[in-house]
Amino acid sequence: MGNGTVATFQLFGLTFSVANLVSGAIVFLLAVIFVFATTRHITMRPSKGQNVIEWLMDFTNGVLKGNLPANEVRGYGLWGFTLFIFIFLSNQLGLFFNLMINGKAIVRSPTSDPVVTMTLSMMTVIFANYSSIRRWGTKGYLTSFVKPLWFFFPINIFEELSSFLTLGLRIFGIIYSGEVLLEMIWQLAESHGIFTMALSLPIEMIWQGFSAFLGAIQAYVFIMLSSVYVGRKLQEE
Amino acid sequence: MLLHLAVARTLYNGDTIFYAVSFILLMWIVKVLAWKPVTKMMQDRSDKISDDIDNAEKSRKDAAAMAEERKAALAGSRVEAQTIVKDAKENGQQQREQIVTQAQTDAQSLKDKAQKDIAQEREDALASARNDVADLSVEIASKLLQRELKADDQKALIDSYIEGLGEQHES
Repeated sequence: MGNGTVATFQLFGLTFSVANLVSGAIVFLLAVIFVFATTRHITMRPSKGQNVIEWLMDFTNGVLKGNLPANEVRGYGLWGFTLFIFIFLSNQLGLFFNLMINGKAIVRSPTSDPVVTMTLSMMTVIFANYSSIRRWGTKGYLTSFVKPLWFFFPINIFEELSSFLTLGLRIFGIIYSGEVLLEMIWQLAESHGIFTMALSLPIEMIWQGFSAFLGAIQAYVFIMLSSVYVGRKLQEE
Repeated sequence: MLLHLAVARTLYNGDTIFYAVSFILLMWIVKVLAWKPVTKMMQDRSDKISDDIDNAEKSRKDAAAMAEERKAALAGSRVEAQTIVKDAKENGQQQREQIVTQAQTDAQSLKDKAQKDIAQEREDALASARNDVADLSVEIASKLLQRELKADDQKALIDSYIEGLGEQHES
């Protein structure tokens, strides 16, 4: 099972999980290969690969444009684009490539692990707060927590926390449940020989397709909410 | 050991750092490989398109101006052609009239001259014939005088002579 046991090891007093390191490295490599392959021959008249990456850039820029102040969009394009391809590939990886050795997961969707999704949402929160400091200065940033009135301070703090949690847990829940269900369909297929194999094959395919769709949607939702979050930090209250 | 695994499973904090670092690294790679060149190309393209649109607008205006100019030139040349044809016609007419008049004048003068010449000629011819007649008559008279003159003959001769003189005088 993809999220059953995970092999871990200790290094520099930190704990690492093998599955996340391998999967993360694969996602990283896939992302690099994607951007490398699609940008070999950049021309005025875009060819196949260039069309794909330009469409993606336009897409993520469009998402950011809707949520950030118009003059700030330029500076956040790269962040939105990288976040999107990283999360998209993370969501899809486990659907098509799930590897276990001795019952321990080696390759799976990194986003089916809460540690990874919380890392991503934490990065968004930190990035949003950093953007706020850069935009308003330290004083402006600190006073934004007591707006509109001083007793809103706990509510504002709680809002940060809830953003952090919802952003990370939403994507984790959906990707994790997707993989769990795939796993269960596989168990069904294995249970009674050829008959259940034949029965569960179309179910598996349908669910895989649906999960691929969900994975894409979740990647979109993640950058959408992240940009909303950053945008709110950048806007005048 | 089991407890250690359980604790480790709940929070492998190293992964957080791994993912944070790899994300930032990925962002940098994407920036160098794709973001900068593609964004630049997209900007160039949008600049080019906007330039092209401006140029197209300009060319359209130029073409319209040129067409207008050509139209005016065409109208001008038509008027000019008409003038030329009209002038040519007038010239032709004038020339024809001139030629005809000239021809008439020439013919008239030739005719006059010819008439004059003919009259002169006749005059000359008459004069010379008269001289000849006079000479001849003198000769005849002298010949006749040399013959023997009879009274009647002489008389007839003198009469005829006198008659002849009268006629000569009259004419």
